[in-house]
Amino acid sequence: MNSGIGLIVWIIAYPFVSFFLGVLLGGYGRKLTARVQRRVGPTWIQPLFDVIKLMTKQTNISHGYMHDVAMMMLVGGTLMTMYFVPVPGFHYFSQFGDYIVVMYLLLVPPLGMALGVGQTANPNGSIGISRALQMLAGYEITLVMTFIGFAMKHGTTSMYELMKLQQAGGPATWGIFAEPLLGIAALFALQGMLNEKPFEVIIAPHEIATGPMTEMGGKYLGMMFIQHLIALPMELTIFMNLFLGGAQSWVEYVVKLFVLFTLVLVVNAVYGRFKTDGALRFFWKLPLPLAALGVVMIMANGM
Amino acid sequence: MSDKELTQRSAWETVLASLKKRSLWMLHYCTGCGAVELPPTMTSRFDMERFGIMPMVTPRQADILLITGYLSVKTLKRVILIYEQMQAPKYVVGFGSCTINGGMYWNSYATMKSLDRYLPVELYLAGCMPRPEAIISGFNSLIDRIDRGEANSWKDYYENYEFYRKNQEHTFGDIETHRSIADDAQYYGFVEVTK
Ligand code: SF4
Repeated sequence: MNSGIGLIVWIIAYPFVSFFLGVLLGGYGRKLTARVQRRVGPTWIQPLFDVIKLMTKQTNISHGYMHDVAMMMLVGGTLMTMYFVPVPGFHYFSQFGDYIVVMYLLLVPPLGMALGVGQTANPNGSIGISRALQMLAGYEITLVMTFIGFAMKHGTTSMYELMKLQQAGGPATWGIFAEPLLGIAALFALQGMLNEKPFEVIIAPHEIATGPMTEMGGKYLGMMFIQHLIALPMELTIFMNLFLGGAQSWVEYVVKLFVLFTLVLVVNAVYGRFKTDGALRFFWKLPLPLAALGVVMIMANGM
Repeated sequence: MSDKELTQRSAWETVLASLKKRSLWMLHYCTGCGAVELPPTMTSRFDMERFGIMPMVTPRQADILLITGYLSVKTLKRVILIYEQMQAPKYVVGFGSCTINGGMYWNSYATMKSLDRYLPVELYLAGCMPRPEAIISGFNSLIDRIDRGEANSWKDYYENYEFYRKNQEHTFGDIETHRSIADDAQYYGFVEVTK
């Protein structure tokens, strides 16, 4: 799938595959949360129904040009990032862009959202955006720190190379076992990146009425949902490629996705929400020093 | 009733309706005492989410506007503003006898007696107050109506806006709303375009 016709077919099909995976993961998430709370929960493909419902709404309020463009930026930015993250059998683009590129592109969707929400001029939305950027200062720095650690250890910044190295060495060389300090720090960062509790300060329905989504209705909200569903497997895959040795087959890939997401969800289901400053303070108190310590240990071993 | 409404739905519309009925988001505007029955409806005991019904927090995102109880003149004004912010198709559900005929506040000087003079009500849940079982069965009949393509009361607001507007002005005087419903109705093609 990395040359010729196969490549073209895969480039076209990949967003749909990713969306489908996202729907399954999202539905699984809602079901699992419901089961933890002793409820029956919705069906497994509930996110699909939600998206269909939103995209077939008959009136859609636009707040202006930027509001429309921002939705394109949101989904477009996510799709672009997605291609640079290697999955089993598809690593064509990851030879042109390492994880520095991925980190950079990951910032496009939040910025697009900020532009769009800015035009809706809703105070709750603006608070949501400022919180989103604050949270970036929390988890992104931790993530970048773990990336630096890996780059120093293996002398490469390519996600695909890193994945191959881990696969060749077996589970003992998986990032999470070889560098547990970095692994734990990145687990916290993943929780923040996926915007799950206790770091769910951006959406916070009871405080700021779903923040950035406050003024979004109909197709606009539908686009945000699609973006979220595509980004969900992608963000899990980034973690998987760095710390769980990626995956060699699609079966392994899907199993690892679900196991990883279960871990995130059970934490999400039992915790309350930090306050914004609390979340930031937590990130700078625990995961960031852990990651820094991990990097220092890598440097010490290398000397 | 125009001929258009009498014709059969296309196959696509039937399929779409059966998918759309699986996801309904509800904005509960807790005006009265009845709201206390909603937490058990949403949480473990009765679990509304198994029908795909979820509470949502802003009118833009919601499909159902649930009005739980008596409406004073002040709150009714807010309800109308909220309703006009929602995206069609949208369903107003009147909850409890207070929204039907004033209930036990019938003699009150401060409450409105009948919600359907001001907004097109899709469904009433009778009772003072309706138990979670009644709420769930009410939502199920709403789901059935959506499936059969009968839940079209929201169109009435676009088609007969003068009627609702007249009642609103009778109560509030000149009330300022954010969008022109008549323009919207023409823009989205819910009524014939007048030149
Ligand atoms: S119907 Fe009964 S429970 Fe509901 S608001 Fe009126 S008095 Fe309260």
